[in-house]
Amino acid sequence: MTTMTSRGVSRGSRKRSRGDALAAAAFLAPFLILLVIFQFGPVAILIRDSFYSYSLANPDIAKFVGWGNFTRLFNDPIAMQSIGVTLLFAVGMVALVIPLAFLMAIYLNQNLPARGFLRTAVFLPVVTSSVVVATLWNFLLANQGLVNAIVQSLGFQPVSFLTDASTALPSIIIMSVWQQLGMATILYLGGLQSLPGDVMEASLLDGAGPVKRLLLVVVPLLSRTTVMVVVVTTVFALQSFTPAYVMTQGAPEGTTNLFVYQIYKSAFTLQQPGYASAMSIVLLLGAITVSLVQMRLLRTRWDY
Amino acid sequence: MSRSFSTAVPDQLELPDAPAPGSHGPSGPPIGSKHPSTRRIWRRVWTTAVILLIIAVFLLPYEWMFISGLKTQAAIFDDIKPLSWKTFVPLETTFENVRELFMDRGVGRALLNSAFVAAFQVVCSLVLCTTAAYALTRIKFRGRGVIFAIILATFMLPAEALVVPLYQLISTMNLQDTLVSVGLPWIASAFGLFLLRQSFESVPVELDEAAKIDGAGHFRVFWSVILPVVRVDLITFILMIFLFSWNAFLWPLVVIQSQENTLVQVAVAQSVSPGALPNWGLTFAGASVATAPLIILFLFLQRLFLPGLARTGLK
Repeated sequence: MTTMTSRGVSRGSRKRSRGDALAAAAFLAPFLILLVIFQFGPVAILIRDSFYSYSLANPDIAKFVGWGNFTRLFNDPIAMQSIGVTLLFAVGMVALVIPLAFLMAIYLNQNLPARGFLRTAVFLPVVTSSVVVATLWNFLLANQGLVNAIVQSLGFQPVSFLTDASTALPSIIIMSVWQQLGMATILYLGGLQSLPGDVMEASLLDGAGPVKRLLLVVVPLLSRTTVMVVVVTTVFALQSFTPAYVMTQGAPEGTTNLFVYQIYKSAFTLQQPGYASAMSIVLLLGAITVSLVQMRLLRTRWDY
Repeated sequence: MSRSFSTAVPDQLELPDAPAPGSHGPSGPPIGSKHPSTRRIWRRVWTTAVILLIIAVFLLPYEWMFISGLKTQAAIFDDIKPLSWKTFVPLETTFENVRELFMDRGVGRALLNSAFVAAFQVVCSLVLCTTAAYALTRIKFRGRGVIFAIILATFMLPAEALVVPLYQLISTMNLQDTLVSVGLPWIASAFGLFLLRQSFESVPVELDEAAKIDGAGHFRVFWSVILPVVRVDLITFILMIFLFSWNAFLWPLVVIQSQENTLVQVAVAQSVSPGALPNWGLTFAGASVATAPLIILFLFLQRLFLPGLARTGLK
């Protein structure tokens, strides 16, 4: 009797698990097929192409060049400058976003008049397209633009923000900080609101002043959030393309020649997709490294 | 139950303007300080100054953009120098720029194209991601963890690095310069799946089991049990996909060549970059038109945007 039941149960559950497997396959297949075609497929093509030299107009005439595209990349002063510019761009953004977003979050976490309104204002650039942001800032920073109008009304000489090699990259960094600050602020606000209340009260009872409390208690407790902000900002910077395309075309003297813009030019303007693929692989590895470092630092469970 | 995102996540990202429960910000005047009134005045001055600064930095540029779209080129330059209140007010409002955009520059067409691509992307990824999320959260099968890990691995691939091979892939499919090709590569969205998985997991399993006892199959459970419960999160999902689609630039720039298939972001970008002297009023009007749909959506549905956007941070 008992054996019968257990056999019956196991047969039933096997039947059900086969049904489940079929259902799972049906539910998952469309997603997985497209994911394989449009995510893993391109990665495979990218790796293959990076060993060839050819043109997009005539992809059938391809020449195998081995590691040639990569050795060329590391000996190409323009590409290396572009990588350097992009790293500088990322470092500059992170260095500004972290303190500003932190202060903004502390500020918006108080009982303020019109707090929701301010939060919306800070967040508006995050939902604005990079094209519109770059267009707007192109005119804000132009020689006859709004910022120079303010500069001149204060009695200073106008500044050629986007055409002077010493100010072009900093200008684009500031624009991108403006664009991404809301995102980082929201992350810090989330972090602040999840701080354990008893820790805060204990530090208050210890007589820690507001500044000391901020530095010694809040900042360390928010280190996870800070790691996230660093990663989000870095990945955003590594992928930036629009400022170079819309505002500067990489000029002056290549100081704003962001790496994705360099890839775009190599592939579609100069018709060297093999070389552009090698550069894309470098970008891919860079982004993956940042993500892996993040996972390591956060010891991630996938769902936070 | 219907707000399952907020139950899944401790931080209340959509805090109302009311006093935050358990807000730890420096609050209230210190008890027993010597000059409470002077301190309070200074505090108020400081707070007002910071508020004005935030408004000036974040809202004034938008105001200038919208207003200047309603001015002629000459009026924009006349009003900006010297700087005055006129800079921010359209004294002689003209809709000439808007007229030219829609009548001569085909911006109406570009807007429709962008809307079509966004709708295509939203509908397809809604179908693909909800079904996949159901399989990964509600059906037990071998290899589930592995499949989820493989999907999440694509999180790390920056879309910008895949543009060159994607273009070749789309070309071999003979889809280049079509609106479908703009959305197609992104409809199996790992981010969307990640968003929905969290939301699906917050639905109690007891609900499925009750339905299954009543004889419901997986599709019934999916359609009549899970989806109704997570409908608010589905709106967040739709807004996110719409946002990504509407604001995308590099891929549409690469894959679309013909004028009649241009998307609105590309149209705006190309009105600025090449050519010697851009028409400021026209470009401002174009940028305003290109960004207005999202800003309006965001202003009204901010609470539904924020949980999704906060999770793009996890990407």
